Amino acid sequence: MPLSRDVLWYKDAIIYQVHVRTFHDSNGDGIGDFQGLEEKLDYLQELGISAIWLMPFFPSPLRDDGYDIADYNAVHPSYGTLEDFQKFLAAAHDRGIRIIIELVSNHTSDQHPWFQESRSSRDNPRRDWYVWSDTDSPYKGARIIFLDTEKSNWAWDPISKSFYWHRFFSHQPDLNYDNPEVREQMWQVMKFWLEMGVDAFRLDAVPYLVEREGTNCENLPETHAVLKELRRKLDEQFPGRMLLAEANQWPAELRPYFGDGDEFHMAFHFPLMPRMFMGLKLEDRKPITEILQQTPEIPPSCQWSLFLRNHDELTLEMVTDMERDYMYDTYAENKTMRLNLGIRRRLAPLLDNDRRRIELMNGMLMSLPGTPIIYYGDEIGMGDNINLGDRNGVRTPMQWNGGWNGGFSTAAPESLYAPLIQDPVYGYPAVNVLRQKASEHSFLNWMQRIITVRRSTGVFGRGSIEFLYPANHRILAYVRRLENEAVLVVNNLSSTAQAVELDLRRYKGSIPIEMFGKNMFPRVGELPYLLTMGPYQFYWFRLRRI
Amino acid sequence: MAEESYLTDDFLRQLINVGEVDILVGLPTHNNAKTIGSIVRTIQSGILRGFPRERAVIINVDGGSRDGTPDLVTGISIDDVRPASNPYALRTLHSISTRYAASPASGVAFRTLLAAAELLRAKACVVMSPESANIEPEWLSKLLYPVYRDGFDLVTPTYRRHKFEGLLITNLLYPMTRALYGLRIREAYSLEFGFSGRLGSQFLGQNVWNHPTGEAGVELRFTLAAIAGRYRICQSFLGEKDHVERRAADLVPALRETVGALFSALEPDFRVWSEVAGSQAAPTTGTDGEVLLEPLRVNRKRLREMFSTGVAELESVFQSILSPPTLAELQRIARLGEEAFHYSAELWVRTVYEFAASYQKSVISRDHIIQALAPLFRGRVFTFLMENRNASADDVENNIEGLCLEFERLKPYLLQMWKSRE
Repeated sequence: MPLSRDVLWYKDAIIYQVHVRTFHDSNGDGIGDFQGLEEKLDYLQELGISAIWLMPFFPSPLRDDGYDIADYNAVHPSYGTLEDFQKFLAAAHDRGIRIIIELVSNHTSDQHPWFQESRSSRDNPRRDWYVWSDTDSPYKGARIIFLDTEKSNWAWDPISKSFYWHRFFSHQPDLNYDNPEVREQMWQVMKFWLEMGVDAFRLDAVPYLVEREGTNCENLPETHAVLKELRRKLDEQFPGRMLLAEANQWPAELRPYFGDGDEFHMAFHFPLMPRMFMGLKLEDRKPITEILQQTPEIPPSCQWSLFLRNHDELTLEMVTDMERDYMYDTYAENKTMRLNLGIRRRLAPLLDNDRRRIELMNGMLMSLPGTPIIYYGDEIGMGDNINLGDRNGVRTPMQWNGGWNGGFSTAAPESLYAPLIQDPVYGYPAVNVLRQKASEHSFLNWMQRIITVRRSTGVFGRGSIEFLYPANHRILAYVRRLENEAVLVVNNLSSTAQAVELDLRRYKGSIPIEMFGKNMFPRVGELPYLLTMGPYQFYWFRLRRI
Repeated sequence: MAEESYLTDDFLRQLINVGEVDILVGLPTHNNAKTIGSIVRTIQSGILRGFPRERAVIINVDGGSRDGTPDLVTGISIDDVRPASNPYALRTLHSISTRYAASPASGVAFRTLLAAAELLRAKACVVMSPESANIEPEWLSKLLYPVYRDGFDLVTPTYRRHKFEGLLITNLLYPMTRALYGLRIREAYSLEFGFSGRLGSQFLGQNVWNHPTGEAGVELRFTLAAIAGRYRICQSFLGEKDHVERRAADLVPALRETVGALFSALEPDFRVWSEVAGSQAAPTTGTDGEVLLEPLRVNRKRLREMFSTGVAELESVFQSILSPPTLAELQRIARLGEEAFHYSAELWVRTVYEFAASYQKSVISRDHIIQALAPLFRGRVFTFLMENRNASADDVENNIEGLCLEFERLKPYLLQMWKSRE
């Protein structure tokens, strides 16, 4: 299956997020690798995804799961070689699957040769590649992001006897983007992978590239200028490739990252995700509709990226204090589940392994405006291990079958990079791909079906959205439209059956065709359209004018 | 033919959209446009402060206002249709309204609220007065927390009142309900009170809704039913009760709603109150009530004149209601001058008990019995005002307590009259 030539391919994509280390171990060393990932491409193709987002796989001391890069132009030896990556890339492309890789541009590992040179002396040519100061007083307006571990954004370097700037862990010094050499070097890194055939980059922590005194050092115009420069070069030399922004910000602050369609192609919609969970728990659409009402229009070529869970904690930075307290109390009563300003849990345990709620959340993920991202293992309802530190509890090995190491690796269990989930509910004997493939009504097969339905129309990826606001606030209803096509989506956020009257007069005469079973419903007339919905049920109706 | 429901289809549709709630705030209204705007905003604020996570609804039951009252209530809904005008809230807060055709004093409003509470499976409910200019957001919590958190079924208010406010309560309702039902509830008939969904449902199913248009004073029946049913009851101090000017003509309707309701409850509740001796204090949050002492102009002379005139003009009516010694004593004091006039506590209690017994026997039209009490009550009020004109707060409370004890002491007299009928 060849890759589509559409430069807006990312609008129709279904993205699957995976860390190569977690997916499949081909050489029995207990760590997933590119050869193992390649062996599982058929599985991903069958699932229906069209792009893979790989978490950092570069040489790294792995003190932040690879987000502390020590060499941008190589593959970590645990995961294979550059040749293995190229082979994997070609195999993915053969299946019509695009590859998105990480560009951790804000900082490097303190083990990166650039930093080693920079700290070696104040006269080193690379001294100015990082942000140095004789005191820890500059940029006091910048918040500390990893509150649980860091006390300051400055760290003392005993070698060069000065402070260096870091927005994340102190072993991750920030690059100095005021230095044109750094900007050029980062473009060269991108070019290296683009020439190899990589389709897109997810740019990590983009709001923090540039620092200025008297500001909070986030979202500065100078940062946008750096990003626009990279985008211009990308479009000139590699048209059809894509940039995805990681910027955990409010919608209004995120909007500038799209520029006039000349900065990022896509950006994560961070504030929406916790509000989907909140709306479900409150049984009230208000948190969801309100944040989408506050979401500004973006240029036609741009797209939001939506997700339910990812490799990090369920971030609660973009909620109010009251909302955060509510989320903690309702989704993370056990305080060990909390990390930084978030909840380090996977989708299924967050939703009490309730199949109806998990399906509803995925239904919203697939039908709200944006490109959905599925976190590996969530398609089979994998669990987590809150006894593992940091965010490692949601990064355990993929569960392929009920056999040795869940089919992840032939290594001795104690040599795996992380223990498999073994509890009776979520453990690999109970939750695995093989078992779910064998069951027609498994969650995996349901996920495959919803992806197929989503991909049967362009309306979800590219269409407009019109909220219906029925008087029953437990019902989230909207119409997605693209040219002559209209799809009505109705979600019941409640744990109980609900009746709802929808004002569909604008679609009078249309025949609703339920998109999963393809059954007809009564024609839309002048009167309110009455639907009864089971607990957590959702409908997708194609509104046909026949 | 099926009985016509007092819940309209439109109201049912609104209830369906609201769905299950934790907190229900009932707001009966009738031409309250002047006050209702600030009251509903205070209620909204009380919900957002006290119950930010709970599912809540404000339900206005309107008796046919012509001043746009319902629109002022429904206009404060917190939803996602007009987000810009919302105060910050975690979830949707519906504010809905329905109308009924009966008289505002009919009890239909309360019945409608009870039905809504049952349909919405409300855990804790509160009824708020549309005239409470002094309402504070905390009143919601004070009336609802005991139900929602502590498992009480009924929360009645206590207030800071002027010593000459609420004289029907202090001179009749409180002492008589206390003596008969054995629980010291200061405001057994209140326009602001909290209750549990289970008490609401139980009362809704009782046979108190005989008249198709409802029943006056049903809120008092509700309190009495809660006591009779041994539900958990407490009092909560709210704050200052605003002064509402009353006309002399307002007394008879007030007596119908309160004393009429109390008298009519005595027959079905006979097994309960006939076995009660003495009284117990109800658990109370805050004080049992506070007394304000500043001067207040009252036309005492007019009160005594209305008493004397009433005793003279209604002699034939009183002959049917009162015992000869009681009537003779009333006629004696009616002839006394202002300085000598004194309507003693004992005489007042005997009067009230004889009225209650006559009401039960229906010696004449029950409504006439209630109307006939009005001039006598004015005489008692005159004495109360005279006795307490220079009294301190403690003195006033002691006098009320004395009257209560007199009601308790003479309770066998009522029982004797009641049994003599049988």
